[in-house]
Order: sequence, then structure tokens, then C-alpha cells
Amino acid sequence: MHEMKEMKTDKGEEHGHDEHNHDAPVEDEEIRDWKKKMVGSWIFAIPIALLMFSERIFGLELFVPRVTTTILLALGLPVLFFFGWSTIRGGLRGLFTFYFNMDSLIALGTLVAYFTGLFSLFFSIQDYSGVSAMIMAFYITGKYVEAKARGRASQEIKKLLELGAKKARILKGNKEIEVDISEIKIGDILVIRPGEKIPTDGIVVKGESSIDESMVTGESLPTEKRKGSNVIGATINQDGILYVKATKIGKDTFLAHIIKLVEEAQSEKVPIQVLADKITSIFVPAVLILAILTFGGWIYFTSDISKSIAASVAVLVIACPCALGLATPTALMVGSGMGSKKGILIRKGEAIQTIKNVKTIVFDKTGTITKGKPEVTNIYSKVKENYLLEIAACVERFSEHPIAKAIVEKAKLKKFREVKGFKILRGRGVEGRVGKSDIVIGNRTLMNEKKVSFKDFEKEIEKFESQGKTTMIVAENGKAIGIIAVADALKEDSVLAIASLNKQGYRTIMITGDNERTAKAIAKQCGISEVIANVLPEDKAKKVQELQKSGFVAFVGDGINDAPALKQSNVGIAMGSGTDIAIESGDLVLAKNSLEGVVQAINLSKATFGKIKQNLFWAFAYNTIAIPVAVAGLLHPVVAEIAMALSSITVVTNANLLRRKKI
Amino acid sequence: MKKAKITIQGMHCASCASNTEKSLSKVAGVKSAKVSLLLKKGYVECEDNINEDELKKAVKRAGYGVKSIEYE
Repeated sequence: MHEMKEMKTDKGEEHGHDEHNHDAPVEDEEIRDWKKKMVGSWIFAIPIALLMFSERIFGLELFVPRVTTTILLALGLPVLFFFGWSTIRGGLRGLFTFYFNMDSLIALGTLVAYFTGLFSLFFSIQDYSGVSAMIMAFYITGKYVEAKARGRASQEIKKLLELGAKKARILKGNKEIEVDISEIKIGDILVIRPGEKIPTDGIVVKGESSIDESMVTGESLPTEKRKGSNVIGATINQDGILYVKATKIGKDTFLAHIIKLVEEAQSEKVPIQVLADKITSIFVPAVLILAILTFGGWIYFTSDISKSIAASVAVLVIACPCALGLATPTALMVGSGMGSKKGILIRKGEAIQTIKNVKTIVFDKTGTITKGKPEVTNIYSKVKENYLLEIAACVERFSEHPIAKAIVEKAKLKKFREVKGFKILRGRGVEGRVGKSDIVIGNRTLMNEKKVSFKDFEKEIEKFESQGKTTMIVAENGKAIGIIAVADALKEDSVLAIASLNKQGYRTIMITGDNERTAKAIAKQCGISEVIANVLPEDKAKKVQELQKSGFVAFVGDGINDAPALKQSNVGIAMGSGTDIAIESGDLVLAKNSLEGVVQAINLSKATFGKIKQNLFWAFAYNTIAIPVAVAGLLHPVVAEIAMALSSITVVTNANLLRRKKI
Repeated sequence: MKKAKITIQGMHCASCASNTEKSLSKVAGVKSAKVSLLLKKGYVECEDNINEDELKKAVKRAGYGVKSIEYE
């Protein structure tokens, strides 16, 4: 055990920082940068504060006013024009190019205040130069705290970027050569020891082991792998040596897809944000005008130039659109990061808003509620059972349908007889000619279509169907000769997941190509009350459309056969299994193949959207309250700046609090 | 039609992102532009023969720098 751990560190973490890290440190660099500026500016701003306080509050006049002003100007110089230079420069450039940004407001506010100091040496005017340095120092501090909080918001994504293995061992002849991950080519045989990370996506060619895939799919139980199994890069081999042939590398791997999805989710727009975005884009020029109006108004009514300046500076520095702009993206970032840890990917930002209006959830049966791996459970036949299975398997061999596979598996034939004229009759069955016999295998619909009577089997069929088994009728030369019953077991967590959705008040519906009786039996087993049976695959989207007449519908399906229904629904939840992840068709995509993920995805979406609403509320509230107060001249400019910094920090911190929600 | 992912330097507020977005949308051949402040990235849908310099200029015009452009 100890050894395993050591190897893990060796492979996983030590080489940790030579791949992918072109993305992560941008944030860290920014934090470091703001920190330097913050420390530097306070070295000068603290003496300024002491000087200002001693005079204003305690009435201590240490120096004559002129000397005090000169000292304030001297101390403020580096704060504004060295530590705050990037802000001042960016802001002024914005003013000249008409691409106003928040810096424009701060730059204007601080410069105006600073120059009152210079003027006060010659004219009778209140000196605000100390105030200007304080504003800048608080602004920089706010930026530092905000950058740090934003860094925390993206921690899951950073972890995801660092998840991939860095080195791999390739088998060349009899030798194992260690190479960098980027040197792997498709077809290389990789050797993976217990405790090591799987370097890239591949297929097992030798060995048996269980693999911990939780970091990528969110599936907590280890998955058994043997020859022929697909493995996912960045997952951890647990107990056996595996020889894996690389099938996907670089940008094509599962992990790379997930990273891309999570990244794209961050830039997704949520409809609720549209208003905030519009306001943000006209905010700065509007505030500039408001500041001028404030100044004009104060001059007009009071003729007190000092008070006019203070009020307009307060307006300039308090009116920051930042909280508004950060409200949605930070919450979305934390939400999608939390999701990625559990294998839930938010692909459409809109989905998290839409999902709260969803009343009905439609589940595909096969592969979604059930395991999608049916097994033959009963055979009832008028001829020899072996013969029935043999001809059935020979014909079904050409079909990809899970039921066909179950029959072939059950028959375990060494040699298959030749089949002529094989045809798939979609949603109904198959037909083909074996020797001199015309064989038709399928459901009732197909038998009725072919005018085959199956009266003698009706009782047995009904019995199997009421147990939730799908029954196939086998006909030879127009006569039914036997039936094969196939059962597709429920996934372990389907019952719990559906119970929890029912409890939350959703109308749950199962949709399937099975006949009514079988479908109802399965629905009963897993707690679904409504069933839409006998639906051909291509008609699922139409059924969803019908249901949409009475409200928003979410569809849960496997994404490959169900793509049209997923697209048609208001929120499409696509379930993946292993590397077969149907990314394109879902609004929410689950990397793990379990219904528990659906419950989590819904909870996560609701929680994230709730956070966004909260954030937008605070941001709007802050601006609508703070701006009038500043215009009225009731806010000291430094207090205004502190309030401004706090508003952004509050929003980002509140987004981080989303993590406390259990999903 | 192709997608360009532009890594942008120097943005630090919401209006920075919306300025850059506006500036990028105005470039000839750009169909849509989305800028993420948090990821410091711009996602641009554009014609295949887009002039990369124009994209860079657009980001610069808004006041920021381009670190890299990737296409897919």
C-alpha cells in the first residue's frame, strides 16, 4: 500500500507542472501582481491615513497646512503614478479611445482629487490629495482580494487541467521506455502499473485490473477492466498491471473533451444576465455624465467647489459595474467546476435557467433506466430449445440491437449458419432466410404484419411481459415456433434517483419501444407512474413535442439514439458511458452512466441559478442605493471606494459559497 | 466558418470584457464574439480567411494585449 502511494506521487504529482500549464498561472500571476502593488501602495498610504486622521479627527496640526499638503502630495505620488500607474494609464487611454472601462472612472476620480492638492497650494480649496491616494490603495486592495477569490472560484478547473498524466511507459519490443505524454502515438502499447495514471485513452490488450475513474466521470465505484475494455486517460489503475493500446491522444482524448466543455461552459451566457450585460456596456459613460451633472448641480446650488468635487469624485469611484459583470460568470464558474468533479457538464448556460421551469422529465428506458445489457432469461418453445436458439442467433448475429446481442450471447454458437436476405425491421425485429426456412423474429406488431398467429404463446408472453421482460416471437415459414424472453436489469441507483425526483414533484415518464405491459412492469419496479410504450425510436422527439404542450420537458437519454428527442426537449440531459459520451446533443452532459447524476445535475443547475439571481440582486441593489447617496454628497469618497471594492468582493465570495450546497 | 480562441492580457473588469467583445464583433468577417473575463479568453466565430492581425488590432484598440490565438 505504501509503495503504491509513493508511485502515485511519483507519476502523478512530481512531474506535475510541465504540461497544460499555459492556462493555469495567468490567474496566479495576476494575484502576485496586485499583491505587490497593494503592499507598495499601503507603505505610502498608511502614513497618509495617519496624517489625515490626526488632523481631521483629533485636530492635531503637526505641520502648517501648506507643509501637510506638500507631504500628502509627495506620499501620494508613488501610490498614483507608480503602483496605480497601470490603472491610470489604462483609464486615460479608455477616455481618449472611447472604450471606457472601470479604470477610466478610478483614474478620473483620483486625478481630480490629487490635483485639488496642487491647487490648494495656491487657491482656497479643500485638499483631497490624501483622499486620492487612499482611493487608489483601496482600489488596488479590492482588486487583489477579488483576484484571489476568482482564483478560488476556478480551482476545480485548474485541477482538471493538471489531471492528465505527464509521463508514460511505452513497450518497444521487450523494453519499456519512459516517454513524455506528448510523444505517445496512436497504436503504442503502454504499460501501466498499479497506482499509476492511465496516460491516454486506449483499449486493454493484456492484463486485468480495476480502475478508479471518479476524477473524470464522477463514478465513485472502481470499474473492472480486462482485455478489450476501453480505458480513459488520467484515471488511476488500482491493482493489476495493464497493457493498453493507445487509441486517442492529445486533443481527442476524453479528458481533453471534458476540459474543453467545462471551459466553454464558463463563457456561456445565461439569459438572466442579458440585462446586466447591457447595463455594464453603457455604465461607464453614463456614470461619467452623471459625475459631470453632479458637479454642475452642486456648483449651481451651493457654489461650493470643494463639496462639488467631493460629491462627483464619490460618484466616479462608487459606480463600478464590476459586481454586475462578475455576478453571473463567477457563479457559473463555481457551479460548472463543482459539476465537473461529479461528472456533470453544463454545456448550455441557458439550461440552468430553463431547468427551473421543467415540470416533466421523460426517461428513455434502455440504457438510461436500465443497464442496456439485456440477458435472455426464458425460452418457451414448441421445437427443441437448442434449435430455436440456434436459428435465432444466426439471424440476430447481423443486428446491433442489444436484444439481438443477448440472444447471440446466450446461444454461444461456435459456427453460424448462412443467412440470406437479412433485413432489420426498425423497432419491430429482424428477418432472414436460414437454409430452407424463412425466419422472422420480432414483437407482436411484426407478427401481425407478417400475419403470423401466436395464439398458442399468448399466455406465456403475457406472463413474461408482466415481469418486465421483453418477449421476442420466433416464426419459421410463417408459423410461430417459440418465444425468447429477455430482461434488462435496472441500474442500481435508478429506483432511488426516481424516488427523489418524484418527491421533488416532477412528473416522471418512461418512454420505450417495448409494449405496454413490459414497459409498465419496468416502470413499476423503478417507481415511474407514467409510460409511453410502443414508440419507434424516430418518434420519441414527436412524443416530447406533444408533452411540451403542457409545459417544459426535460429528456434523459443516451445521446446517440436519442439525439433528436434531446434536442427537441427544453433541457436535454445526455448520459454517457465510459468514452462514448454524446457531447453534442445534450444541454447537460453526464459523464457517468447513472440516474443519480440526473438528480445531481438538476440540483446543481438550480443551486447555480439561485446563486446567480442572488448575486445579480446584490449587485443591482448596491448600485441603485449607492449612486443616489453619492450624488447627494452624503458619501465620503474613500468610503465610496471601500463600498465599491466590497461589492465586487461580496459577489465573488458569495459565488464561492455555492460550494457549501450539497448536490 | 471557424472558431478562434484568443487569450487576452490585461482585462480586469466587466467593462473591459464587454469593450473587447464589442471591438472584436466589429472586425470584418467576425460572426460572433464572446469574451470571458474570468478565463481571459475571447471566443470568436469567424470566416475561414479571417485576418489575424485585424483580430489582434481589435483587442488592442479596446486597450488589451493578445497572448495567443488558437483555431479549431
